Amino acid sequence: MIQIENLSFGYKRKKLLYKNLTLSLQEGSIYGLLGKNGAGKSTLLKNLVGLLFPTSGSITINGYSPKKRLPSFLQTIYFIPEEVNIPGLTIHKYMKLFAPFYPAFNEVQFFNYLDQLDVKDQGKLNTLSFGQQKKFIIAFALACNTKILLLDEPTNGLDIPSKIRFRKLISSVFDSERMIFISTHQIRDLDNLIDRVVIVDNGTLLLNASITEIAQKLCFKTIPDEPDKDKILYAEESLKGYSVVMENSDNENSKIDLEQLFNGITENPEKAKVIFQ
Amino acid sequence: MNNTFHSQRFGLLFKKTLLERPTQMFGFTGLMLALALIIYAITKTISGFVMAQQLTFLCGLAGGSYFIASLVFGNFTSNAIGSSYLTLPASHFEKWLCGILIAGVLYPGIFILFYRLMDVSFVSEFHNSLDPAAPFYKELYQSVNIFSFNGFFAWRVYSIFPFAVSAMLTGSLYFNNAVLIKVSLVICSIVVVVFLLNHLFAKILLGSAVQHTWPFHWADVQVGKDYGSIELPEKIAGTTLYALSYAFPVILFVASFIRLREKEF
Repeated sequence: MIQIENLSFGYKRKKLLYKNLTLSLQEGSIYGLLGKNGAGKSTLLKNLVGLLFPTSGSITINGYSPKKRLPSFLQTIYFIPEEVNIPGLTIHKYMKLFAPFYPAFNEVQFFNYLDQLDVKDQGKLNTLSFGQQKKFIIAFALACNTKILLLDEPTNGLDIPSKIRFRKLISSVFDSERMIFISTHQIRDLDNLIDRVVIVDNGTLLLNASITEIAQKLCFKTIPDEPDKDKILYAEESLKGYSVVMENSDNENSKIDLEQLFNGITENPEKAKVIFQ
Repeated sequence: MNNTFHSQRFGLLFKKTLLERPTQMFGFTGLMLALALIIYAITKTISGFVMAQQLTFLCGLAGGSYFIASLVFGNFTSNAIGSSYLTLPASHFEKWLCGILIAGVLYPGIFILFYRLMDVSFVSEFHNSLDPAAPFYKELYQSVNIFSFNGFFAWRVYSIFPFAVSAMLTGSLYFNNAVLIKVSLVICSIVVVVFLLNHLFAKILLGSAVQHTWPFHWADVQVGKDYGSIELPEKIAGTTLYALSYAFPVILFVASFIRLREKEF
């Protein structure tokens, strides 16, 4: 479990990116961390894994303080940054050098994941394309079987078939003892994958809700006429009229559009706060 | 689980550090040994054996360790490498010790072994090339000897070596890119400042008679037409030399450990 209490962080002391952020994340969920460019998504992930230290406040992950970077903590968490840089080793050599650090690493799973992601053994890993390298490291990270997996923009650099394979793989490996935290600005890549949504903007937590909760509280639909602005969270013109996100006062069933949700929450944070209170 | 030191985990880390970038680690070591051979061979021809032995020993041991120290913690050139290094499940102490052992023990060990072999070969070749029947054979034979690892010059190099390694290890944790250039520039700046301040203090204390100074050691003064040298008392000079050669590097080694523990990336 991740417990963030009054987290403040800034690259410069006088200019804080996060101010008193409090957030609780449970295992057994795939979280989608959404935010605009520069909203601090990567910064939050780096704080969680201990690469950056909070200016004030605390982060506790399964009883550990990430900033201490203790081996017993690092064995339980794997962070894949947006860029990947893999040394000039073969797949087997990489596995032999890195896997022993993760006690729950499973070799059979590793090769199975590589197969599922269509990563072929073609000599040295640094000769692979960026997308192939990224898929390799995703397969390795999943095979490490850490309790927490943090992925920063995992679909950047992946082609469309690879994005589909990635989504399938993440869904298939997920279990109730794991937590996967995916940060992205490519919101559509997370469709049908995540079960909780976290939205941050300007260093503030705007939303932390499950997909079920969002579906209960918001309605996503298309209406023919221009909507009354007071009743809606977000509206955009579409071919059939207006696609809107509004409070689900009539308990309608609708399919969540993550992009519209994100736009609605970031454009009307106060209204969203009232709805989700 | 021991979160400070675990021998098996340390072994894995050491192996991983050496084999992760073999071209960099072994290639660089090979390059330094090849350079040592070239420096020795060229200097021997131009300036003789003593100069060749001393120059090669200085460049190979202190210089080589300085360069290799820039590689062992040089993991912060990109987000991916830095993140991977800092989040690898090994303790700060193990990562630090790994760096110290590679730059401060493994490379110097390999170099000294190579140096001895090279030196013995060159000296033997010279001795064998002499004609025992020639005049001054004995003098010529005795003029060239194997470099003493316990001699004055060797000890001078031993005192530079920990400073070079510790400064580079610490510096490479402060600078993420172009570590070698930046740390070298900082060291040069500190040396210049120390020399200038020392000279300034000597001028203030001893007046305009001061001609040349050497930090923490001596000052040359001119009185009328006579030159003289004022040296630090032997005890103080010894303590200062000891502090500069060993205590200062120890401080830097500790600083590198603290910096690694506190490193954000």
